[in-house]
Amino acid sequence: MKAVCWTGTGKMEVQTVKDPEILNPHDAIIRITRTAICGSDLHLYDGYIPTMETGDIVGHEFMGIVEEVGSEVKNLQRGDRIVVPFTISCGNCFFCKKQLWSLCDNTNPNAHVAEKMYGYSGSALFGYSHIYGGYAGGQAQYARVPFADVGPLKIESDIPDEKVLFLSDIFPTGYQAAVQADIEPGDTVAVWGCGPVGLFTIASAYMLGASNVIAIDRFPERLALARDYCGATVIDYSQDDVSVIEALRDLTHGIGPDSCVDAVGMEAHGTDVVAAYDKVKQALMMETDRPYVLRQAIQAVRKGGTLSIPGVYGGAIDKVNFGAAFGKGINMKMGQTDMQKYLRPLLQRIEDGQLDPTFLISHRIGIEQAPEMYKVWRDKEQHVTKIVIDPWQDRIAA
Amino acid sequence: MSSTAVTFPRQGSTFAPLADEKKDGHVRAHAIQTVNASADALYQLWRREEFVPLWMEGVVSITRTGDRTSHWVMSDPGTGKQFEFDSEIIDDEPGQHLSMCVIEGMGKGSTDDITFEPHPSGRGTVVTLISDFVMPGGVVGNAVAAVVSRSPRQMTIENLRHLKQLAESGEIPRVEGQPHGKRGVMGRWKEFMLGETNPTPPGTSEREQRQDYPKQNELGDKREVA
Repeated sequence: MKAVCWTGTGKMEVQTVKDPEILNPHDAIIRITRTAICGSDLHLYDGYIPTMETGDIVGHEFMGIVEEVGSEVKNLQRGDRIVVPFTISCGNCFFCKKQLWSLCDNTNPNAHVAEKMYGYSGSALFGYSHIYGGYAGGQAQYARVPFADVGPLKIESDIPDEKVLFLSDIFPTGYQAAVQADIEPGDTVAVWGCGPVGLFTIASAYMLGASNVIAIDRFPERLALARDYCGATVIDYSQDDVSVIEALRDLTHGIGPDSCVDAVGMEAHGTDVVAAYDKVKQALMMETDRPYVLRQAIQAVRKGGTLSIPGVYGGAIDKVNFGAAFGKGINMKMGQTDMQKYLRPLLQRIEDGQLDPTFLISHRIGIEQAPEMYKVWRDKEQHVTKIVIDPWQDRIAA
Repeated sequence: MSSTAVTFPRQGSTFAPLADEKKDGHVRAHAIQTVNASADALYQLWRREEFVPLWMEGVVSITRTGDRTSHWVMSDPGTGKQFEFDSEIIDDEPGQHLSMCVIEGMGKGSTDDITFEPHPSGRGTVVTLISDFVMPGGVVGNAVAAVVSRSPRQMTIENLRHLKQLAESGEIPRVEGQPHGKRGVMGRWKEFMLGETNPTPPGTSEREQRQDYPKQNELGDKREVA
């Protein structure tokens, strides 16, 4: 089969590899019908996730048709159409039983690596480095899905693939970010980053009762989606006369946002000298993550407010004003998404027509175009907002 | 307001560490896991020779040679070299405690001590493994083992982890045998450095499954599907 493989920092290649096969009794093999490139795939592309191996198949947003199931898979059969959540969960450990699906004890074959870096290991992820298990990803024509009776969401209606594809990661991730923001009716929520997760966070914050959502980005096409499609008040931080913290104070009548959401994570961009400091330090590997947004959000949030962090962090950060977090008594919530908690309710919202997730798709491509589109995605060229891949076509004309 | 004193649910105590040490050619290591399975099921997986190779690393075969004795053939995951020993069970309290000792062959005098206790607030069974390895080559041998395959300490941790995975989820997670692109020199070096070249024990994998492996419900495993 064809698969998108990581071959080094800044390099992706489409290679022909062997087809996946059933390895464990709860496995399923699916024929992938649609897959997507995630913002967090850029952290792999840019070389900031340390345990990638040359030849790793990437991709963790995918769906498809079940081809074959292992002997212990009872609730799926050949021909079923499923969306595969990006986290892999066993369904029976202490954490899964507590609905903390992304913290499953039993799915990471490389748990010892995560334990050395983080103390304990969370669940494995598809196509996201070997600290997260080293599972082959879904930017490919077929994939092996472990614990197929626990993770995947069966789609019974004839709703098109594109409308449900983002249940694999970004819609639940944005939704969980809004849940973790502890929104009360009448609240104002500030969201940094109007990429796919940020946009879904904005939409979800309104679903959960926010009265105003303020969105911060610098790319016109993203700000336009946030403003025109999701009803946000937008701040373009790249404009000379804009200070984000001042703007947020003014827009919240001097109080500060009740909740702040960092939907950017470890590769934040800024415009001032501190941002340049992070960039240099990260390049010299003295700091793994650039926590520019995190610092700003801690500063901006109101006293006693909540900071919700769906943006990915991988390691050490510095110059974070923890005194500000303490002095204002803020709450912080973060982590990978407990996917299985949100899949069905969000599918229901899509089927009820509350939200059509296809609004953010800007590019539809064939698998051979993936390597060049990684560059476009990283450099934010061609007004890119979301790239969806049909792995069975080589190229799709724009 | 009543002035009754607070009742504390338990007496206080001071933590006493389980000794992990390296001296006189011995390496002592421990691992502890809370497993969502019954003590009896876990005890069976450990006590019955036919099940041990499913989850313990490096086991080629175990042959029962008496009521309490068995012959083990092991393979070093790093070098693939085989070695053998005879083991005797020196304490056996079903569902609670197992203690075994190598009585002849490689690592003679090594012991494993395993206790199975209910978790104090009902989260399953706490399994504690204390291994005392008699190291060929002593502590230096241990350091070498840590580089070429697994250190005894990491082996202790991985073995208990695999037992937990098998008992809780009905399989041992694996990525060996999945597709990937060309690894190249760097990719293969990283695989080795992350310990991925150590074979994963078969668990219930389709290709190596033992036909007599007890069904999940026999293990008391009530795996639920979301």
